[in-house]
Amino acid sequence: MGLSRTVILFIVSSGLSLILGVLRIPNVAHGSLYMIGAFMAFTISKATGGGSLGFWLALVGAPLGVALVSLICERGMFQYLYEREHLMLLLLTFAFSLVFGDLVKLVWGGEYKSVPVPAVFQGFVPLFGGLPFPIYNLFLLIVGPVVAVLLWFLVNGTRIGKIARAAAVDREMVGAVGINVSWVFASIFVIGCLLAGLGGALVAPTVSVTLGMDHTLIIEAFLIVIMGGLGNVWGALLGALIFGLTQSLGILVWPQFGIIFPYAAVIVVLLFRPTGLLRSTW
Amino acid sequence: MVDRGSMGPAPNRKRLLILVAALVLLFLFPTVLPRFYVYMAAIVLVYGLAATSLNLALGFGGLYQFHHAVFYGVGAYGAALLMMKTGLSPWLGFVVGPLVATLLGLVMGLICIRLSKLYFGMLQISLGSLVWAIVYRWYSFTGGDDGIHGVPVPDLISSSSNAYYFTLIVTLVSMYVMHRILKAPFGSVLQGIRDNPVRSEMIGVNVRRHQLMALVIASFFAGVAGSLFVAVDSTVFPDMLFWTLSMEMVIMCLLGGWLTFMGPMLGAAVIVALRTFVSTYTVYWALVLGIIMMLVIFFLPEGVLGWLIQLSRGKGRTKAEEGDAREDVSQGDR
Amino acid sequence: MLEVEGLHKSFSGFKAVNGAHLEVKEGEIVAVIGPNGAGKTTLFNLITGILKPDGGRVIFKGEEIAGMPPHKVCKKGMSRSFQVVNVFPRLTVFENVRVSVLAREGRTWNMVTAANRMATGETARIIESVGLSGKVDRISAALSHGDRKVLEIAIALGGNPQFLILDEPTAGMSPEETSRCIDLIRKLSRELGLTILFCEHDMELVFAIANRIMVMVRGSTIVQGPCDEVRCNKAVQDAYLGGGDLCSV
Repeated sequence: MGLSRTVILFIVSSGLSLILGVLRIPNVAHGSLYMIGAFMAFTISKATGGGSLGFWLALVGAPLGVALVSLICERGMFQYLYEREHLMLLLLTFAFSLVFGDLVKLVWGGEYKSVPVPAVFQGFVPLFGGLPFPIYNLFLLIVGPVVAVLLWFLVNGTRIGKIARAAAVDREMVGAVGINVSWVFASIFVIGCLLAGLGGALVAPTVSVTLGMDHTLIIEAFLIVIMGGLGNVWGALLGALIFGLTQSLGILVWPQFGIIFPYAAVIVVLLFRPTGLLRSTW
Repeated sequence: MVDRGSMGPAPNRKRLLILVAALVLLFLFPTVLPRFYVYMAAIVLVYGLAATSLNLALGFGGLYQFHHAVFYGVGAYGAALLMMKTGLSPWLGFVVGPLVATLLGLVMGLICIRLSKLYFGMLQISLGSLVWAIVYRWYSFTGGDDGIHGVPVPDLISSSSNAYYFTLIVTLVSMYVMHRILKAPFGSVLQGIRDNPVRSEMIGVNVRRHQLMALVIASFFAGVAGSLFVAVDSTVFPDMLFWTLSMEMVIMCLLGGWLTFMGPMLGAAVIVALRTFVSTYTVYWALVLGIIMMLVIFFLPEGVLGWLIQLSRGKGRTKAEEGDAREDVSQGDR
Repeated sequence: MLEVEGLHKSFSGFKAVNGAHLEVKEGEIVAVIGPNGAGKTTLFNLITGILKPDGGRVIFKGEEIAGMPPHKVCKKGMSRSFQVVNVFPRLTVFENVRVSVLAREGRTWNMVTAANRMATGETARIIESVGLSGKVDRISAALSHGDRKVLEIAIALGGNPQFLILDEPTAGMSPEETSRCIDLIRKLSRELGLTILFCEHDMELVFAIANRIMVMVRGSTIVQGPCDEVRCNKAVQDAYLGGGDLCSV
């Protein structure tokens, strides 16, 4: 159970890490985009009858939908504000999270929604010593690393990734060389948000899709990103692992206050390595 | 030489008159307004005080104080728990609440202060979330998710108007003290640190220590605001420590003008009034707030008060005149 | 008054300061010169405590101060101005200097008295001595570049230092402002008895007011001595002065 959540956390956090590390935007709206992804997955799934086809369509469609929304926001607003202070950017993304939260309420209403697990992933697989392990979680365990590798390749292997990293450090220089930095930033932003939407679409079959799923997630995502190192994909993975592990451990050991463990872990890490465990781009 | 201590007699008298009129109005509220509005006014004062205390660290100190609500909430819980669980005089709650908040401020400050900017803010959010999680889960002690209702506040202030008067007096005193602190050398140094920490270090200022003190003071007054909330509402709940409330407080500071003293109070008044008004028409208050925020960020980054001051500034005025105008406004609205 | 021995500082493998030596006697005016990137500002940062050295010693008035935090160094009697203008942009000229005076008087923890009424005399005196009296109420961000550099010096004076470090004090100044600055530095040395260490690119300025010169190239000191000695030093001429023979100037 904790492992599936860890994967989801990683995917969402990696997107946030990208945006924070390269664009220096503390994207508080990331949680809302995750929520929108989940709701979009619900709608797509419902519209196609709730079967396996619906699931795969949702898995592709929801992230793209979220990406579109984020593109509109970026072109419409964010691109004018990159030079502003972090506080302003943070507040702007918080404003977006407020707007998105209510828009979701408007469009989808306030009741719990559920997305069925596709037939091929239903059921359990007996694992070490007979513990039933949901097949869907196995699926997630494959998706997670795949996303990680793809992302790492994108950031370190592709031209866009290299440009983005250079632009994060010195935007003017990159622009002076003739590269359209604006579109590079937009792409990074959209990719980051797409990851949030993907996380939402992936989580939809495992939890009840509700309002308010953005609030707790965004804090966890931020803490993971800070713990792992801004802009560092592996850092997000490491952070998510630590977070998920300490959370599961905590609830096991001390059911009432177990949820404190991950927060404590973050504090400990930040005390010894204030910029995160792995190298950050800041 | 420039004598910065005095202003012209005419503007001074006018401002004093406005100040007195405002105070009279504030004291007359319970006699002319229905109970609901008196309650609202008290809430405005509480949030305004909390936002002003936040602005001490944020706007004047330049600290990324992202989770101020923790101190507010802890102050409230401190007061409420004392009144509920101990046999001590409930008046002590108004002392213990702020003290607990201040203690937390000191501890969190010591941990966070070695980091700067965003990392400071993030560490504060993690520590704050930890505190929130503890309050949320400790059902037996704090009432957990339900919070605590029907806190036995002192009889003297149990009525709506008396609670309002109590809040008004405490808020006025607190605002005065904070204003005094900001006008004193400590305030100048703090603003210097905000604008140029390196320069401040080079003139002999121990930047970290001053910032820590600013944090401690801010958390104290946030705790005062929290305990005042208990006086007004007789309840506490975990959401008072949730990060969304911290963000709302930041919004109040920004909306009112985070480089001015009275800005946050103004922002609180606007937000509370708007929320009450809008909520009668629609349930989508968050949407409205979000849109307002976007407008403010794009068009009014100095906040309402900051914008008004800029309007009155005009071109070519020296700082003396502008400083007088700014001081006039801040004193006049007190 | 100040002795620097074998100072080292690296940044991620790049040796910014590589064995620097410096000696400043009381009452002297010493200049540090060198090509851009020679490590002059880094040296100043190491002396004033903004950076911690990797090795070497900094001895000020007989006391080891290497690695001491800047605010403690300042309290020992050393003040500094910065190369990139570093004032308090939102405060007026008067308030800028006053903050410095209050810091020196140790009154920064005062939360009761209105700052408006404090240290006015001392602040006014300092502002007058640098010649900014006509602009006391201007917000420092609105000053001309030259005036802001003078304000920098005024802020440094607020700490009542015995030792003043000026990092490129006339950078970006017009010729008129530069000559006023030269007069100011001379006055500070003569009338206030300040020991002054500065770095500059303007050679005429350097030869005009410095008693002794230290030359830095690629992070190391190659020579320190009186003006004439340095001018005629072959290594200096090759490395920095363009190989020309300035001896006969």
